Amino acid sequence: MASLRPLRSLFASATSALSAAQPAQRALVRTSARAFSTTAPSRSPEYGTEAAEQPRWQQTPPRMMAPFRVRPKPRGPEFKVNDDPRRLDDAYARLLGPGGDKVLSEEVKWLAVTHKSFDHGRRGFNDRLAYLGRRIVMLQTSQALLNAPQAEAWPRDSKGTPVADEFGRIPFLHPALSGLRGLTGEASDQVLDKSRLAGLAERYGFDKVTRWKPKRTDNLQGSGLESVLTTTLYAVVGAIALERGGEIANKITQDKILAPLGFTFTAD
Amino acid sequence: MKRIRIPSCATPSLAPRAARRPLCPYATALQRSIAPHNHRIQARFQTTTAVENFGGEQIEIEALAEQTPNAPAAPRQSQIHGSIRPEELPSPHPSEAVRSVKLSALRARLSLPPRFPLQTLARTLVHPSADPDPNFNNASMSMLGANLLGYYTTEYLLCNYPRLPISVIFAAQNAYVGPRALAIIAREWGIEAAAEPGGEVDPGLLQFKRLKPGEGVPAILARQVPWKWNTTNTHRIVATDEFGSDNAPPSPHSLATTPVPMEEAAQSFVRALVGSLHLHLGAPLVKRFFKAHFLSRHLDISTMFNFRTPTRDLSRLCAREGFESPVARLISETGRLSRHPVFVVGVYSGKDKLGEGAGSSLDEARVRAAAAALKAWYLYRPVDVTLPSSMEGELDTSKWKPNMVDCGEVIV
Repeated sequence: MASLRPLRSLFASATSALSAAQPAQRALVRTSARAFSTTAPSRSPEYGTEAAEQPRWQQTPPRMMAPFRVRPKPRGPEFKVNDDPRRLDDAYARLLGPGGDKVLSEEVKWLAVTHKSFDHGRRGFNDRLAYLGRRIVMLQTSQALLNAPQAEAWPRDSKGTPVADEFGRIPFLHPALSGLRGLTGEASDQVLDKSRLAGLAERYGFDKVTRWKPKRTDNLQGSGLESVLTTTLYAVVGAIALERGGEIANKITQDKILAPLGFTFTAD
Repeated sequence: MKRIRIPSCATPSLAPRAARRPLCPYATALQRSIAPHNHRIQARFQTTTAVENFGGEQIEIEALAEQTPNAPAAPRQSQIHGSIRPEELPSPHPSEAVRSVKLSALRARLSLPPRFPLQTLARTLVHPSADPDPNFNNASMSMLGANLLGYYTTEYLLCNYPRLPISVIFAAQNAYVGPRALAIIAREWGIEAAAEPGGEVDPGLLQFKRLKPGEGVPAILARQVPWKWNTTNTHRIVATDEFGSDNAPPSPHSLATTPVPMEEAAQSFVRALVGSLHLHLGAPLVKRFFKAHFLSRHLDISTMFNFRTPTRDLSRLCAREGFESPVARLISETGRLSRHPVFVVGVYSGKDKLGEGAGSSLDEARVRAAAAALKAWYLYRPVDVTLPSSMEGELDTSKWKPNMVDCGEVIV
């Protein structure tokens, strides 16, 4: 014979299903003579009311919230986070040009600027987008370093013939390989330095619209502001790649991230 | 009897090529500034001339030698070759590449077009520890190749598994293009390593400075103690590499003076090969190469999960998504009082079964069912996806379908 446990859970689910179907009814629906729960149904909004119709970025899911806060509030001034869609659109327009606020869909626009620390990750976060965005930006940086004008690939003497090295050899010179000298780890790290990218994000106004929770509100730098802004910048690139395609994402990376960092791109 | 014409079995690389491609040595240099309007034309512009068009290996030296007959003889390779013994060179002379059987065989084995120069293939096999000169080793090419492999793998994973947690993405990336995977791929391609690097070894061997037996891994490659012990995955995304390591890996150029394990050298070869293919032959070929050699390897991502409290995670996930709270119900059982009971438990949200698990105790079965439910959520796979890289250089944007962007894994 089956144990009592499955029957009990069956009844409990029947109760909850019934209460979900009739949200207006506050009385306890009894399916048996003995009540299995002595607590009254909570007053929190049930599924299907107007709270559930709000977009994900706007509210933390109601069933994930406790009815009141138990822990003491942290020290320091309260950190206000942007919730105005127009300010976010302005930041995107500054980054992507006129019409930049239409490039991404609404949820993804907010997701790209939301750090994992915001609201304990309950409204989503931009980890994956930043992961893809960083791959794209690193690849575009490597290609920009390859194509950047640099010193002669191999020293030549006055007549233009390549000079032999200390071992008396000359490498295989080919136009496709001529830019390899410029591609080093140090050059790449210098271009994609965290403080430079964070400064760039601040110029575009993303420090005002990024949603995150600093460890210390009176010391944002010490709480990792640069890392958060870099994540946001990468995440925007990744979001554009997923929603609009690699061509547009590469173009945005070149024009809006690498060009301000000192690279020039001819019309390709 | 009808005579059947058998195509000649001569090495295609030495056969004279029909003049369908520009034979001018400066073609590639001249036409680089012209915007290619089609990626196929772009690939053609990036071709090299066939091997026999330059007797030495530099196009420039030949042309200039012809133009300046009065100038003192340009240092011909054979002259230099004769004055310095091969053993004194740190890596084989570039002119040896065209004479190497191993290199030709490797190029044919990988089905690379003959216009890919053997000299570049030889250079991809030279690790910086064998030859510190960046013009003769594969350091820069391996950087480019690492970026390419990382990008193509990431976009494949994110487009095909939009809900995958970030730690599983790290693990899957490591499985496809991580150091160990690349070393295995190099072995599958038949790459053998030279015992000791030098100018006299066959250019088709992988050359690197080996660790001495009994010697530990050098400090630059050893896992360094992290500066902070509580690095999060989010921090690792922007601070370290694509596999979620605790520290950023050393740049290939910095390994010029240290002995390295073979895995590191093999990894640098595979990355450098992909980078050099991109430079010589163009992105479309690299994408096909990647799909054929890397994505074709089977990986079962469902085995890469590791849950601690799947029941709690599932409960929070249902709360976040607005599903009814998950309830575990016993579906069937056998042998409850015996030594090997089996309980089959299903986790239900309302009337829908989210997952099912079997175990030898009620708790184990419930936990397995919750884990199965979470996997069913995280391993969601859309039917057909368009990868971002498919739009690069593409004029027809009607095929583009925006990919699903998931909000992130559930945080408890």
